Amino acid sequence: MITAGIDIGSITSKAAVLADGKLLGTRVIFTGYNSEVAGRRVFEELLEELRLDPSALRKIISTGYGRNSVTFVNKSMTEIICHGAGAHYLNPGVRSIMDIGGQDSKVIVIDEKGKVKNFSMNDKCAAGTGRFLEVMARALEVDLDGFGTLSLKAGSPSKISSLCTVFAESEVISLISKGERRENIIAGIHESIAARVAAMANRVGIVPPVVMTGGVAKNIGVVKAMEKKLGVSINVSPYAQVNGAIGAAVLAMGIK
Amino acid sequence: MTPIDEFHEVLRDPAAYGRKLREEGRRKIVGYFCSYTPEEMIYAAGAHPMRLFGTGENIHLADAHLQSYCCSLVRGALEGALAGHLEFLDGAVFPHTCDSIQRLSDVWRMNVKGPFHLDIVMPVKLDAESAKEYMADVLKRFRKDLEDKLDAKLSDEALKDAIVRFNKIRGCLGRLYEMKNKNPGIISGSDLYAIVKASMMMDRGRVLDLLPKVIADLGKKKATAETAGRRLVLAGGICNHPDIYRIIEETGGTVVWDDLCTGSRYFEGLTEEGKDPVTALAERYISRPPCPAKHAGLFSRADHLVRIAKEKRAEGVVFFFLKFCDPHAFDYPYMKEALDGEGIPSVMVEAEDQLPSEGQLQTRFETFVQML
Repeated sequence: MITAGIDIGSITSKAAVLADGKLLGTRVIFTGYNSEVAGRRVFEELLEELRLDPSALRKIISTGYGRNSVTFVNKSMTEIICHGAGAHYLNPGVRSIMDIGGQDSKVIVIDEKGKVKNFSMNDKCAAGTGRFLEVMARALEVDLDGFGTLSLKAGSPSKISSLCTVFAESEVISLISKGERRENIIAGIHESIAARVAAMANRVGIVPPVVMTGGVAKNIGVVKAMEKKLGVSINVSPYAQVNGAIGAAVLAMGIK
Repeated sequence: MTPIDEFHEVLRDPAAYGRKLREEGRRKIVGYFCSYTPEEMIYAAGAHPMRLFGTGENIHLADAHLQSYCCSLVRGALEGALAGHLEFLDGAVFPHTCDSIQRLSDVWRMNVKGPFHLDIVMPVKLDAESAKEYMADVLKRFRKDLEDKLDAKLSDEALKDAIVRFNKIRGCLGRLYEMKNKNPGIISGSDLYAIVKASMMMDRGRVLDLLPKVIADLGKKKATAETAGRRLVLAGGICNHPDIYRIIEETGGTVVWDDLCTGSRYFEGLTEEGKDPVTALAERYISRPPCPAKHAGLFSRADHLVRIAKEKRAEGVVFFFLKFCDPHAFDYPYMKEALDGEGIPSVMVEAEDQLPSEGQLQTRFETFVQML
């Protein structure tokens, strides 16, 4: 049985295909303006890459904020449920997930079957999300992919105290004009994100082992800052960004 | 227009409704905050009690007087008054509850010209031995204040009549809640919300015409198989968001009871008829389910919520708080713990009068419903 999961996020859309529960492949594209088109495109591109005919797929679940915009799926489920299922599929021992996506961050606690027991989600504000990092990367004229490794070279991280992305950006700009080292500023930005998400983690009460998922998990600097804040070690799978899509494909196996 | 449409119509533009009542000129209009206001007395003094809420509009006048950590009910209501939307009011009543409402009272008194201003400084420890007597004295004072401000006589007879009338209204609302609880599919959450909320604003004669009709109409509806929705209890302060019910229903839940100031806390607990009316009212207002700005025992609010959840066969509880409402926020941990102890799942969502993006709310409710 071949199943698929499509995770349409605010910044990127992801797809994953499983055959009898074995991961065949994944793909990531930018979502852009039209989430329906993005959902369809990432799915079709992945099928093409895997040389699969769409008719071979009968069970598809969509997730992410654009989950209800695609019509060719069997079902939609929230990304919180899907991240739980995805993390459990990749590592059945996992009990907590910190997912930092483009516009949301979430802390999810799951049981031994991958079912969500408790969760917390940021509200209203982009502090502690991928969008926050994007804004800062632009202000610092650094490619976002370089953020993680650069921050590890920081001597002492700068202090960024504003919760608001716009105010934090002006804090960063004043640090730049004071001549602060880029590495220190970036490390400070990571600590600020880590503080936001750690606050949620403490509210929910995370249980180790912990994984980090979502696009921001690719940033080693945020992962390290988070480990320091929470005093636990955090695993990042190579599939962190497509974890939600994988979870959707896993859950699609259960569709009758 | 169906009776339910008429309730919705009032909520569409409460200020327009207030102006219309004013033009008809039957009763003076007294605005009030919070369900601890003894509406019966306002009514018995010949005036129309009209509950005031916040606004979905952007707030710019009120923020010159209030800090941003005040809730949107307080900021929105002041905004409405300063913008001149509440000119139809003859007076406004402020029961002494949370800090922000107390300060709203002060800011209002000094900045909103025209309508008279009254505080009701009711007791905080409702379970104290002296609370009932104290409350009765507060009501006696309020009675005299109303007589002065409205230039009217508030007789015992009129007060007894008003008690009967408001008991009927509260009784009808309770009946509607019971009907929905038994058979959630017969009325949508947003319709029931509109009925309760508009019943605090509309001409009470009209409310009493309409409520029995709604009950009769619903009684005729065939008992559908209980809608597939997961049975939820909504708990918090005021709810100013008809959309919440729609979003919950769209994500597979249904609200079968609540512990809200704009819900069961308004109508639960009738006033004893046939005894001294002031004493009876004092007893009603200190023994109804308490709000977190009051104290009625260390565990009273949690016990009440657990009892509701069990009695109403709820599968989960949604705490829905106005952002920056500290009385509710401080009570939340122990109330959640009480639910956890009984194995009742819960989720907490905060919002201002202006709802956050619907996608985020949907994700939370949908996940919660799927967790159950």
